[in-house]
Amino acid sequence: MTAKGHRALLLVILFIAAPLGAQQTTAENRIRQLESRMDDLTRQMGEIRQEIDQLKGQPAAPQPQPAPSLTDVQTISNTPSPGASKVFNPDISVIGNIIGKAGQANPFELGDDIRQPLRLEESEFAFQAFIDPYAKASFFLAVNQEGIEVEEGFAQFVTLPHDLTAKVGKFKAAFGKDNTWHAHVRPWVDQPLVIHNLFGDEGFADHGISVSKSINNPWNAFIEATGEVTNGDVENIFERSSFNDLAYNGHLKVFRDISENSNVEVGTSYARGSLGDVHSQFGGVDVTYRWKPLEGGLYNSFIARLEAITNRRGDADERLNGFYASADYQLGRRWFTGLRLDSSDRFVDGAIPNDRGVSATLTFWPSEFSQVRGQLRRTRYGDARTVNEILFQLQFSIGAHGAHVF
Amino acid sequence: MKRIAFFLAVITLTGANLFSADALKVVTTTEDLASLTREVGGDRVEVTSIARGYQDPHAVEAKPSFLLLLKKANLLEVVGLELEIGWLPPLLDQSRNNNIRPGATGYLDVSQGVEILDRPAGAINRSMGDVHPLGNPHYWLDPANAVRIAIQVRNRLAKLRPADAAYFDQRLNSFKVRINDANKRWLAAMAPFKEAKIVTYHNSWPNFTRHFGLNVVEHVEPKPGIPPSPSHTLQVINTVKREGIRAIVMEPYFDRKTPQSIAERTGAKVVVLYPSVGGKAGLDDYFKLFDYNINELVKALK
Repeated sequence: MTAKGHRALLLVILFIAAPLGAQQTTAENRIRQLESRMDDLTRQMGEIRQEIDQLKGQPAAPQPQPAPSLTDVQTISNTPSPGASKVFNPDISVIGNIIGKAGQANPFELGDDIRQPLRLEESEFAFQAFIDPYAKASFFLAVNQEGIEVEEGFAQFVTLPHDLTAKVGKFKAAFGKDNTWHAHVRPWVDQPLVIHNLFGDEGFADHGISVSKSINNPWNAFIEATGEVTNGDVENIFERSSFNDLAYNGHLKVFRDISENSNVEVGTSYARGSLGDVHSQFGGVDVTYRWKPLEGGLYNSFIARLEAITNRRGDADERLNGFYASADYQLGRRWFTGLRLDSSDRFVDGAIPNDRGVSATLTFWPSEFSQVRGQLRRTRYGDARTVNEILFQLQFSIGAHGAHVF
Repeated sequence: MKRIAFFLAVITLTGANLFSADALKVVTTTEDLASLTREVGGDRVEVTSIARGYQDPHAVEAKPSFLLLLKKANLLEVVGLELEIGWLPPLLDQSRNNNIRPGATGYLDVSQGVEILDRPAGAINRSMGDVHPLGNPHYWLDPANAVRIAIQVRNRLAKLRPADAAYFDQRLNSFKVRINDANKRWLAAMAPFKEAKIVTYHNSWPNFTRHFGLNVVEHVEPKPGIPPSPSHTLQVINTVKREGIRAIVMEPYFDRKTPQSIAERTGAKVVVLYPSVGGKAGLDDYFKLFDYNINELVKALK
């Protein structure tokens, strides 16, 4: 480095060092101020200590706790639950349905099968989740000794305009009340005769499209009209023989509160489809009356139901008619009892015998998620035979808490 | 021509005024939310509750008549934490009102902004009864949470009706002052019973009892949602005797038989407290609900 360079470096150092020196002086002043302040505080602390020592002999007066002011309360932002990562999994539930039978043999129901005293009749697997903001998917798989069957599997469009909703897929037809229920929802172990005889064990469920519209009205009633078009191939009900053989179903429901504690629902249904070379038409009426006091509704309630169905088959000379009427009363928080009267024509090789029956049920709910039911059933099959049976049912559900059925 | 123009202008202005004066239609799942919404919304809201105050809010029936309410609602307020899981989802699916679906501005789950107790810490299953996996949903029974609910309601109403935001602010502030005064009165009435031990029928009161310093040592239900069993009732009787408990608190919609039986064997008193506004005639708002409940508790614990 040259002499010129040394001088330049010295100048730079001087420039930097000058402010540092000033800063050092300021810091020393600050330290002196703090030391002085500390001395003051030490003195004050000594005085306070003396005062405390003087007060120590006296009992401390209780200080009332001031109520926290609610005017300063702010909302809390709750953190997501640990299971938040799983929220997109569908709601899954499994319902077990174990059926026991005792009493006289019933060849009309079982055919040539030998009755099993107790068996897991069916397990229903339900999966439900929103697909996107527009639709919800539901799958109900029935697993039984015959295998796995998709009982229902559909997308439900719940955000349509003009008060519409729609279902596309396989679903239980909106015909009457009983046909729309899954096994675990029925207030009986079995199907009413009219459903068994006219729709068969699996009921009226088909692949197609269903559209429902809520209808505004001045009577403060909920009115809903449903129209459905389905493939028209349903065991025991419709049999399509050409591409255009579709089945059609329509249902009109009117619901109205009678009072805060009671309400009535009336429905009417009509379905039409092919049966090979001929047509088959169904007409139905259903009436439901419910009483459930809001305050004591956990312990007592009452439901009366009537459902009548008529069927005109192209291959039968006469209409087939049937109905059931039932009443269910809740005895206590866990106990229910019910009575059901049945009557239904049955189509057997061109003949139409009339079956009649009466059933009494007693149901116990250990909890919301399980139930035990006994049913005494007496059935007169045409003029052939009367069968007396005791039916037993244990049902339970695990998984997601589904909505209560109304 | 001028007359026609004037006439049209009058109609337009009148129509516009009528429209702006239309009250927001708010549907709440419980009467408590309805009461707090009225406090904030005043005459700018028309509030209807689905559940009645004397009804178990877990066990409401999903009646189609509720769809008529939901269809026309501008705002749906829910308690959340699965309190309404047994009946609200099917109603929402059939409501045909996209404005009140979860995620929409017209859907307000007030549990998002309140203090929640009894959140399960570990794994839970149904052997524990009908447990609420997201925490205890009876949180509205803490006056501080009432304020938190009111704040959320104010914010949502203001979002839906910005022109009335100042009005909602003024009502919220007035509510805060009044509930603060009332809270001081309630706390003072309950102060002599700090840490008093009580039994409740269902676990509906954790927020209430914590706020007022009560100590719940036992429930009449052996597990949430499970009716009392003889062996558990005997256990409760022994606890009440041993701890010198003076009050068995129950909701109006449960059967009085078991609590009464416990009371007769122990000398404790059955106190029917109302968990919701409208639980009985006269309990028309949140303030009257607390006035009544505090008064009944004080009488029983004296």
